[in-house]
Amino acid sequence: MIWVVFALMTGFAVFSVLWPLSRQRRDVTRREIETNLYHAEIAGIERDVERGLMTSADAAAAKAESARRLLAQADQVPAVTSRFSVKLAALLAICVIPALSLGLYSYLGAPDYIDMPLQARMEGKGDDLDIAAAIARIEQHLAREPDDARGWEVLASVYRQLGKPASVARAYRQLLRIEGPSAQRLFVLGEALVYANDGRVDAEALQSFEKALAADASIIDAQYYIGLAAQQRGEPQKAMAIFTKMIAEAPPGAQWVDVLRERIAQMGGTGPASAAAPAPSAGMPAPSPEQDAAIRGMVLRLAERLSAQGGSAEEWSRLVRSYAVLKDIDKARAALEAARKQHQGEGALFDALAKELGLGG
Amino acid sequence: MITEIGHYALVLACALSVTQALVPLWGVWRKDEALMATAQPVAVMQFIFTAVAFAALTHAFVSSDFSLLNVVQNSHSQKPLIYKISGVWGNHEGSMLLWVLILALFGALVAVGSRAMPRDLSAAVLAVQAWVSAAFFIFILLTSNPFLRMAQPPIEGQDLNPILQDPGLAIHPPLLYLGYVGFSITFSFAAAALIVGRIDASWARYVRPWSLIAWIFLTLGIAMGSYWAYYTLGWGGFWFWDPVENASLMPWLAGTALLHTAAVMEKRDALKIWTIFLAILAFSLSLLGTFLVRSGVLTSVHSFANDPARGVFILAILVFFIGGSLALFAWRASSLRQGGIFAPVSREGALVINNLLLTTCCATVFVGTLYPLALEAFTGDKISVGAPFFNLTFGPLFVPLILLMPVGQMLAWKRGDLLGAAQRLVVAASVGLAAALIFSALQGGPVLSVLGVAFAAYLIIGSFVEVWGRITGPGVSLSVAWMRAIGLPRSAWGTAFAHAGLGVSLFGIAAIGWGVEVVHALRSGELVPLGRYELSIGALERRNGPNYDASVVPIDIREGGRVIAHIDPARRFYRARQMPTTEAGIVTLGLGQIYVSLSELNADGSIDARLYWKPYVALIWLGALFMALGGALSLSDRRLRIGVARRAQTVAQPAE
Amino acid sequence: MTRKGRRLTLIAMALGVLGIAVALVAVAMRDTIVFFYGPTELAEKSVAPGTRLRIGGLVKMDSITRGEGRSVTFVVTDNNRDVAVSYTGQLPDLFREGQGVVAEGVLIGPAQFRADTVLAKHDETYMPREVADSLKKQGMWQPGDAPVKK
Repeated sequence: MIWVVFALMTGFAVFSVLWPLSRQRRDVTRREIETNLYHAEIAGIERDVERGLMTSADAAAAKAESARRLLAQADQVPAVTSRFSVKLAALLAICVIPALSLGLYSYLGAPDYIDMPLQARMEGKGDDLDIAAAIARIEQHLAREPDDARGWEVLASVYRQLGKPASVARAYRQLLRIEGPSAQRLFVLGEALVYANDGRVDAEALQSFEKALAADASIIDAQYYIGLAAQQRGEPQKAMAIFTKMIAEAPPGAQWVDVLRERIAQMGGTGPASAAAPAPSAGMPAPSPEQDAAIRGMVLRLAERLSAQGGSAEEWSRLVRSYAVLKDIDKARAALEAARKQHQGEGALFDALAKELGLGG
Repeated sequence: MITEIGHYALVLACALSVTQALVPLWGVWRKDEALMATAQPVAVMQFIFTAVAFAALTHAFVSSDFSLLNVVQNSHSQKPLIYKISGVWGNHEGSMLLWVLILALFGALVAVGSRAMPRDLSAAVLAVQAWVSAAFFIFILLTSNPFLRMAQPPIEGQDLNPILQDPGLAIHPPLLYLGYVGFSITFSFAAAALIVGRIDASWARYVRPWSLIAWIFLTLGIAMGSYWAYYTLGWGGFWFWDPVENASLMPWLAGTALLHTAAVMEKRDALKIWTIFLAILAFSLSLLGTFLVRSGVLTSVHSFANDPARGVFILAILVFFIGGSLALFAWRASSLRQGGIFAPVSREGALVINNLLLTTCCATVFVGTLYPLALEAFTGDKISVGAPFFNLTFGPLFVPLILLMPVGQMLAWKRGDLLGAAQRLVVAASVGLAAALIFSALQGGPVLSVLGVAFAAYLIIGSFVEVWGRITGPGVSLSVAWMRAIGLPRSAWGTAFAHAGLGVSLFGIAAIGWGVEVVHALRSGELVPLGRYELSIGALERRNGPNYDASVVPIDIREGGRVIAHIDPARRFYRARQMPTTEAGIVTLGLGQIYVSLSELNADGSIDARLYWKPYVALIWLGALFMALGGALSLSDRRLRIGVARRAQTVAQPAE
Repeated sequence: MTRKGRRLTLIAMALGVLGIAVALVAVAMRDTIVFFYGPTELAEKSVAPGTRLRIGGLVKMDSITRGEGRSVTFVVTDNNRDVAVSYTGQLPDLFREGQGVVAEGVLIGPAQFRADTVLAKHDETYMPREVADSLKKQGMWQPGDAPVKK
């Protein structure tokens, strides 16, 4: 459809060149124009004389000047029309205008993007996959009825899909307020907070995990985060004690035991470790294909935005890190390069990042 | 789909402008009628497509289509409709689109009105015009494309810069651009005259309306910008000699000079080469203004575009057009025939002096604006050239200009009578003197204000002396005088009004010296004296707008115990940008204004504020309106539009 | 007068006006131009007290102290050197700690400045060019920090 419109528009454009080329014309000649002008000048001089702006002697001289000019214009060369030039120009118009416009447009344009007026998006008329509009609708609804637990649940799950842990945490705080504490809700809130803080277990998260564990001792993951918090606080003894206990109580064949062993080894060798990322799959199922897709989608959007608009050094670091986590080393390197180019003053930061992620120079 | 149609229309307009830049010029070179004839329809079509693109962008802003990066960055769904629309040109990309839209509009108007012009001249004019528009289309498409899309449209935009959310700023850029771009037409005419190798009085007649239109809009645009700065920036000043303001003043000065030489050329066929040069200069300075504002090279409150790639691109455009036209000028100017002759004391001579002074004024502004940039580029030293510099250089050059303006109106063409003119101006001079005496007795105050008012009174009266002499005389009855006044050419009235307008503005500027300024911590319930008024301060209120929160201090203004006006100065906090702005409370009393601008809230609940009483301040902008009115009167003088007016009578054949 | 004579009169007139303009500009350049320095440059150039100039930099965190009435003191820094500024009057809307600022006034002692005009950066995307340059020179500024149209 849109291409039909484009074709029509191009047609009009080309036509605007072809039409004058093909037409017979009868225009005002230069001679007529000059004569008109001469009359106007004489009239103007007479007006000036009338108003006393010119003496009659000067006026006579001025009239003579005008007359001389009129005579001098007589030597004009008549214009011609050459068949060959017309054909060449027509050919150029037919070829060049479409080629230039379609070429440029295919480079710049986005023909398959539809219009997305805000109102239509909010009413859900537009694209069904317009998550931003869906969220805004739920948020608006919840602003009016903040006690709708179902709404907060939906919102939390959408935010989780989009990889926005801080918003997940916000939704869960509301859920806890409305429905009261449960071990599962407390745990989800804690975990969301950890993700929102780039792996750091802050006070609120720790409290949530402790409460969750108190309510339901079988939530092993909460134990893991409590241990992690201890490690991050610089209390390796306490952390190791928790991890060791977890290993001892682990059901046979649990894969996450290896992760815990690794952590213990880490602390044993190097002493108190600084903030470490949460073990990717301690007690957690591997990310489902959907989740994986959501993460990749998020990274892709970040990449698009950064390459289109640029971003802070921090955002670039996050992108590089995300690629590294997704094991997409080439892209991580490329992003690092782009980041260096944009933030030339931050060489040291990016060097450290490259070293940490093992990306080389 | 509307957005993409707009985008494609923009691309097509670009392709058409390239065609229009080449084919008619080829026609002029080959003297081929058919090729030359392509210029007009293509120019019209180019305008239609540009208008489609602009309409599409406006639609996206109005419907808050956040799939456009430009809309996200400069709009907000809660913004009032007028600012959604003005947001289209409140940002770099959109304002450049407005630039080319006006360029294309003027091109189309030239095309439509070009029937009465020699074919080769109109073809060359439109071709040159297309060179300019092609350069800007490419600039927009490659570096400042407003139609870039976002794959993941956010649900809310980042709002327009709050200081731009103002009715003044909604119309200031279009006015200014109409002026800037209007000079592109006179430029195209100048370049076309050089290309065709022929220039005469008829040329001046074609150029005249365009230079007038450009000048009128530029005058209004500058006045509007000045008023906007006055009431939004909260400093109470009307002109800051900011580089961006200077950037619009320079083309105005050159354009004013052009207007006057074009008059000489039209009437007397003299000063041709100089007129051509001024036409090139006026547009070059317009381009320079665009460059200074759009590249962000200046330390200036206006520099909201800040992208070096764009700066370099505009600089390239600037160099190409200024360099190209000057080279063309150097190469072809000598081939133009010299015109009429005149004595030094004559209207022509007076206009030459006017030109000298105006261009020199323009040169001092140029030096003051660009010297800091040059110095920094070469030595690394940073300096600021502010009001004192311009007052000292611009001021003394402007004084003789004011003194000579009525004299010039009085002189005859070819050979004038200086003594006679001076005698007829005795009235004006004595009114000026009287004004000085009256105001120094009534107001006292700074000598400069008294002098300024004297000059202003002289200029206002002097501007009308010539017209007055035409319509009255001993024993002339009122009805005869009225008939004569109506019978007088509109251009004579135009001159009188425009000159008097400058006097009116000057009066307002001079009166600044009598203003009162108080800085005071306002408390609810107190009475603050200001000049001959008293301000009764109300309690702080919160009033929230659609996209901002405001703290308002209602103030009643009293004179002699009676409340005569009310103002609501406010501080607004724009939520999306997290930015505070000051909304001055202004009320016009007579020709003066009371102006209250709030500042910080103090710990004890009082609010710091600046309070001003500015007598006659409204005259500054009123004068500009008079000037524009004068221009419009002159423009409406049909007798000077030969081609269109006469053709109907003398050319009997149908147009087609 | 002959055509040549007229032309000479014109040229003489032009030169006269131009001469006056050049003289005016020269005088104005000497008397009205104000130099701009960052705190580090100010220290290096050992500018004599009493000189009128503009300084620019960032308002140092926790350095704003309000005194009697509308008087205020604050420190302008480029994160290398500091200058103490005293000022009496209204501060601009966007005057804040950690933000760019330009002050015009007189140097009253080493690293002591009395301002009579204070300009804050005009909006959140605008950094006075002088400040940006001066900070860049000190290695404190990355292009990414200047929020180029956020």
